[in-house]
Amino acid sequence: MTDKYSGINSKAGIDWTSVFIFIALMFIGWINIFATTCDLPFTSFEFGSKYCMQLLWMGLSLFVGMLILLSSDKYYYIYSYPAYVGALLLLILTLFVGRTVNGSRSWLSFGPVAIQTAELMKLAACLAVARYMSEYNFSLKRPRNVMVLCGLLLLPIMIILLQNDTGSAIVYCSFMFMLYREGVNGWIYILGFSIIGLFVLSFLLQPAVLLISLLVLYTIACGLIYGRWRQCAIYLAGTMFVTGILFFGSLLIFGTGLSFYHSLIGGSLLSLIVVGIYAYREKLQGLFLAMIAFVGSIIYMHLIEYVFNNILQTHQQKRILDLLGLESDLKGWGYNVHQSKIAIGSGGFTGKGFLQGTQTNYGFVPEQSTDFIFCTVGEEFGLWGTWLVVGLFGWLIIRLINMGERQQETFNRIYCYCAAGIILFHVVINIGMTLGLLPVIGIPLPLFSYGGSSLLVFTVMFFIAVKLDASGRIKSF
Amino acid sequence: MNKVTILKSVVIIILAIFAIRLFVLQIVNKDYKRLADNNVLRYEIQNPPRGEIYDRNGEYLAQSIATYDLMLVPRNMAKEGFDTVMLANVANVTVEQLVKEIERAKRYSRHRASVVVKQMPKESKLLFDEGHYPGFYTNFRTKRYYPRNVGGNLLGDIGEVTERIINNNSYYTRGDYIGYSGIENAYEDVLRGVKGTKVNMVDVRGTVMGSYENGIHDKPSIPGTAITTTIDLALQELGEELMKDKVGSIIAIEPSTGEILMMVSSPTYDPDELIGRDRGNNYMRMLNNKRNPLFNRAVMSAYPPGSTFKVANGLIGLQEGVLTADQRYPCYNGYTIGRGVKCHSHASPLNLYDAIANSCNAYFCFVMRNIIDNKKYKDIKEGFSVWEEYVRSFGFGRKLGSDFSSEYNGFVPSADYYTRSYGRWNSLTVISLSIGQGELGCSPLQMANFAATIANRGYYYIPHVVKKIDGRDSLDAKFYEKHYTKVDSKHFETVVEGMYRTVHGAGGTGHVAYIPDMDVCGKTGTAQNPHGRDHSTFMAFAPRNNPRIAISVYVENAGFGSTVAAPIASLLMEQYLTGKVERQYLVDQIKSTHIAYPHYDR
Repeated sequence: MTDKYSGINSKAGIDWTSVFIFIALMFIGWINIFATTCDLPFTSFEFGSKYCMQLLWMGLSLFVGMLILLSSDKYYYIYSYPAYVGALLLLILTLFVGRTVNGSRSWLSFGPVAIQTAELMKLAACLAVARYMSEYNFSLKRPRNVMVLCGLLLLPIMIILLQNDTGSAIVYCSFMFMLYREGVNGWIYILGFSIIGLFVLSFLLQPAVLLISLLVLYTIACGLIYGRWRQCAIYLAGTMFVTGILFFGSLLIFGTGLSFYHSLIGGSLLSLIVVGIYAYREKLQGLFLAMIAFVGSIIYMHLIEYVFNNILQTHQQKRILDLLGLESDLKGWGYNVHQSKIAIGSGGFTGKGFLQGTQTNYGFVPEQSTDFIFCTVGEEFGLWGTWLVVGLFGWLIIRLINMGERQQETFNRIYCYCAAGIILFHVVINIGMTLGLLPVIGIPLPLFSYGGSSLLVFTVMFFIAVKLDASGRIKSF
Repeated sequence: MNKVTILKSVVIIILAIFAIRLFVLQIVNKDYKRLADNNVLRYEIQNPPRGEIYDRNGEYLAQSIATYDLMLVPRNMAKEGFDTVMLANVANVTVEQLVKEIERAKRYSRHRASVVVKQMPKESKLLFDEGHYPGFYTNFRTKRYYPRNVGGNLLGDIGEVTERIINNNSYYTRGDYIGYSGIENAYEDVLRGVKGTKVNMVDVRGTVMGSYENGIHDKPSIPGTAITTTIDLALQELGEELMKDKVGSIIAIEPSTGEILMMVSSPTYDPDELIGRDRGNNYMRMLNNKRNPLFNRAVMSAYPPGSTFKVANGLIGLQEGVLTADQRYPCYNGYTIGRGVKCHSHASPLNLYDAIANSCNAYFCFVMRNIIDNKKYKDIKEGFSVWEEYVRSFGFGRKLGSDFSSEYNGFVPSADYYTRSYGRWNSLTVISLSIGQGELGCSPLQMANFAATIANRGYYYIPHVVKKIDGRDSLDAKFYEKHYTKVDSKHFETVVEGMYRTVHGAGGTGHVAYIPDMDVCGKTGTAQNPHGRDHSTFMAFAPRNNPRIAISVYVENAGFGSTVAAPIASLLMEQYLTGKVERQYLVDQIKSTHIAYPHYDR
């Protein structure tokens, strides 16, 4: 290549496999949009219909993608901050003059075209975060840097929350994906997931069962760390012994007796004293930490119970129970998920066939062209269709991670990880929702859900990554 | 493990969980296919039109006309409500009624169809189709229409199936109709046809979007089969006219086939009253009517046969060899042995012919005692049992097996019955059986069948009301089988002569039944009964040779058989044999005869 340092180059270095996967997903997505929105029986291609609009947006997106591949890669680094500020201003503008759809004020109209500014913000935030974290001197160990980074993310989150678009705000969690790669301690993630997990489990399991599980889990963890399995066994046996004494003793002495759960709490806390003495003697710091975590877990469990029963309103309680699948309101939220599962589940192995889905054709799944588009895949194309789509998304995300890993520039790597994280997050939340595994959070399935802003932003986001990767590889020749 | 591997593993694990979840939803769990079908498929029952009923000459007795039931699947109703006033107007019911029925449908099931308004006329259906009422649709079904308004109990009534019928018979579902009595009940399986199903697809609002898989799952309904009955409409109409305001019944049979030519049970009702929306009220009104118009007296009631039964005893006597046609017995205004049996005054002694013609009581007391006290039998029990067997062979004391399932068994006492009742007994104890009184119970159908048996000189075909079922070559084989009595054919000629003299002979009790230029054979009866005045009854057939009609008339509490029953029988035979009634004065006389029924109307 003659002008390999100018950044303006030809096709060389482009990861065509990824581009192919991307376009394949986009095409499959459109097929499903068509199946969901066309009027049956299909007679002629109608201009002005949703599938036609989506086709126009696809054309525009791919055209912009081509421009990105043909243009210089320098702009993204240079214009990342201005893009961030611009997107933020649009976001604020939307807050005041935006159009309200489905309760959230997130649409900005430009003549006949309306865009969701929160979608643009995702891209701008990726660029800005990548730029800031690739600055010389940046370190996650420096509190000032971490605070600025948090600011960069919290600013759009707050405005989006003010727009009442919870789904788009939650998307910013996806930066945690990139941050793990960039060195945030894994324990934070474990702690985070533990807190969420304990929250969910405290509703799903009986308190006594949960407490025993925790007890066993922590003991095994300590066993793994110190390898003192005999002591672990002695500890468990002792705890059970004390619990038994409390349970039956109180029964004998007071007649009424303690409940099994309270005896268990008493037993485990009493036995902790012994453990404390043991840890102090043997100078085992980790054991102290484990003890603190255990006690913390118990307190946390009771805190949840207290807050749920005494502070939350009835409708908030219902919402939580609904989210956890403990109470299903088939007329409200539950209806969508129920119909979505019917659509997907009735597809079988081969599906009902293109344009043959009864749930799809006769409108049983609400919001099917946007949030619940995956139902169409499941119903009309069956298991092979859904596995293909899930597989292609997985492949694309892994390739984006690989793409990030082979970058020499920190900016490029962080950007690729951001893009991978955002796409992964959307895919997981959206498909998880349609499968009834995760709560209903209204965020689109990339390249599938109907909507121009989302399609354009994901395309641009992806092609920037490809472009950055291509130039990086050319430079390394 | 380095961080990149961990991240990649996380991606793969999450997506693998999705893949497994998809496998479970789409392959392992079979419920969702059913749930999707429940959502989109609506099985519409296609009700076949009920088969028509014709008389023997092809005149309509019952037709079917189109009506539409308004159906509702509550789940598919518009969530924001709809204009109930408008729909009530369309369906021609009050708003309160409509709202009540909608609530009832909701209570029954949210996703199964209920009938909200029954039997709307076609105009309502057309209006309904113009509007848009999600969740509602119309269902075709036919309603009976009776062009001649005759034969209430004969044709029978059709009503909605009860919960018990639904549970016992899988064919029927809520809102279906079934024949409850008469021909409608007897030939329900033929008349109803076979329901079809149409599988439609509906969208989320319940609007029909078209047929499912081009209708390959549809099953067209098969219309009910038309039935040609053996009834002669003109005869039936005349019979009902003559019996108006009288209580009783008439049955006429064609002896050579066993075909029932007419069947009147009086009081009757207009079959139109038991269809449509007023059915319930009218039904209750009839149920409360003390004269009980819903009771088909022709096949269900038990009457003492009275003097008509003397013919049977004569036949048995002849067959047993204890009687000859020329045997004379004296009558001293009655039979004087034992408690005695009274008789009216007539010439004495009489031979068998004239004993029948004059209906002599004493004569048949002699005959009866000779039969059961016959020395060839070891005791009264054996003698009586022989008599009983003869009587049963005439079709008494059991169901004849006609197409009316509600047929009355009748009652013929056995020797054991008397032993249980009296302990010791002899022929004098049962002497009233000789003149058709006492414990005997016969239905008018059995009497008509007896008349037909005499007309045939010794055999009968099971009386039946259906001549032809469309598309079938023949009826049930039992209707083509001759049933012989235990009495030889030659003995019948003797009693036929007696019955001929009843009508044609001087002093015959049935002279009033005489039809000019016609050989009529008959026997009067005046049946004593515990309810008041005697029942007037007459049994006859005509012509004497190759008889075409045998008839039995019962008029409750009308006195002598010759006063009311005989003229009625005569007029009906005239109508059937000549196609017209010349003796209008007799018609007027019968119609103006007023009979009081104190025990019904109190």
